[in-house]
Amino acid sequence: MKRISPRMRFRMMNPVLQFFKFIILSIKIMVIVAGGHGGTRKVN
Amino acid sequence: MAKIVILGAGISGHVAATHLRRKLSKKHEVVVVSPNSNYQWVPSNIWVGIGRMKSEKIYFPLAPLYKKKGIGYKQAKAISFHPEGDSTEAKPYVLSEYVVGDEKGKQEKITYDYLINSTGPKLNFEATEGLIPGKNKAYSVCTYTHADHAWEGLKAVIEQMKAGKKAKILIGTGHAKSTCQGAAFEYILNVEQELRKHNVRDMAEVTWISNEYQLGDFGMDGMLMSYGSLTMKSHEMIEMIFEDRDIKWILGAGVNKIEDGVAHYENLEGEHKSESYDFAMLIPSFSGHGFKAYDKNDNDITEKLFKGFMLVDADYTSKPYEEWSVRDWPETYQNPSYKNIFAPGIAFAPPHAISKPRKSKNGTDISPAPPRTGMPSGITAKLVADNIIDTIKNGKESSHHKGSLGNMGAACIASAGFGFWKGSGVSITTFPIVPDFKKYPDSHGRHLGKTFGAIGLAGHWLKLMLHYAFIYKAKMRPFWWLIPE
Repeated sequence: MKRISPRMRFRMMNPVLQFFKFIILSIKIMVIVAGGHGGTRKVN
Repeated sequence: MAKIVILGAGISGHVAATHLRRKLSKKHEVVVVSPNSNYQWVPSNIWVGIGRMKSEKIYFPLAPLYKKKGIGYKQAKAISFHPEGDSTEAKPYVLSEYVVGDEKGKQEKITYDYLINSTGPKLNFEATEGLIPGKNKAYSVCTYTHADHAWEGLKAVIEQMKAGKKAKILIGTGHAKSTCQGAAFEYILNVEQELRKHNVRDMAEVTWISNEYQLGDFGMDGMLMSYGSLTMKSHEMIEMIFEDRDIKWILGAGVNKIEDGVAHYENLEGEHKSESYDFAMLIPSFSGHGFKAYDKNDNDITEKLFKGFMLVDADYTSKPYEEWSVRDWPETYQNPSYKNIFAPGIAFAPPHAISKPRKSKNGTDISPAPPRTGMPSGITAKLVADNIIDTIKNGKESSHHKGSLGNMGAACIASAGFGFWKGSGVSITTFPIVPDFKKYPDSHGRHLGKTFGAIGLAGHWLKLMLHYAFIYKAKMRPFWWLIPE
């Protein structure tokens, strides 16, 4: 069953669009993962 | 002068060793004890298992690197823990046995001031009858040797399909309490794409079998996530991917026996069923290594150190799912009885699962164990190393570096097919890993802006970039420490 439309698939596999997606994803992941971590038990 | 002993040279053990060596002066000793001679970047096993990457590309020998960097290395396995020493040895030690060379079989009391237990999980294949990597047409991708065998098995089935024989492929979890659904998810998508590349997709029936209640649970109780401009549940996203690729699925399945080409399982309805296959890749359950611990009088004190995995600063009080709290999860990975022992990565005993526990109508537990993947393993190892470094430098116990899985993000970049232009990846980030229902009550315990999914070629590039970046970092090449865990 085709759940992903041709337009959506084009966007998923287009190297130019995906290059920008790659930059955005890299930054977002860096912010989330390297953006810090800590405890949960002491609440100010 | 302090001596820090690290058991294990996987992601968390290696991260701890490298940071300790970089930040501590040479008068302090850092020693790694591991039965393995190589460091391996486990996430890339998926590509080895489809023949798209040679296993040599994902591992390198530890001994030359450790010698060059001034890290002690003993190729030995831990036998027992003696945190108070014994009648002849005043210092705490780990009894270890060498596994190679002239010293093979020789036992040594390796003393320490600080001990980091990063022995990871035991791949508990024995828990499922007949589940033996490479036997009964069932394989694993948990190590690079397993992945090599998996590719041999898959290649043979592809050749049979090219010769006109139809085949059934079964991928997922091989036990009612398995975790690591993410690795199996990556593998099924990669296998499916390989079948298309070999023009045999129409000859194969590809089926996902899992102990998850819903698709996309991943042992993390599922996620509510942003996907483009939409907000969707992880099971909707994975359902979309599987339906689009014509992958069938069997959920709530506790695989309990493997015979030649047949997987027997019990489902949540209590029914006993079986699924035949020509090629299967099933993730086993994980367990602790069964270490024993003794006090200075040789009394068994295993329960002070282990509950399967190692006990740390978690709240292990037994309670129902509704009362589980993010605060149950450990922050410093320090053993409460022996403050100089730590267990980051997969070596610590989780307080409970993350996914809602479920039983079949027969009372069999069928639900995923909590996943603890590479990224949190690296982060928790680094914070343990930082606390030890601060303690040594300040001369008093320091534990201000904290990292609960309930206050930590993770990215799962799941390869969905290999190829620089034709590849694909499913990128899923989540914050926090353990849902915090008090902090984020309306978004299933997670921050919606930081919990998102994306599908496409960029995901493949990301996974490839992480492969090269983390191997560069692990080899301690110039400025390696600038690459975050």
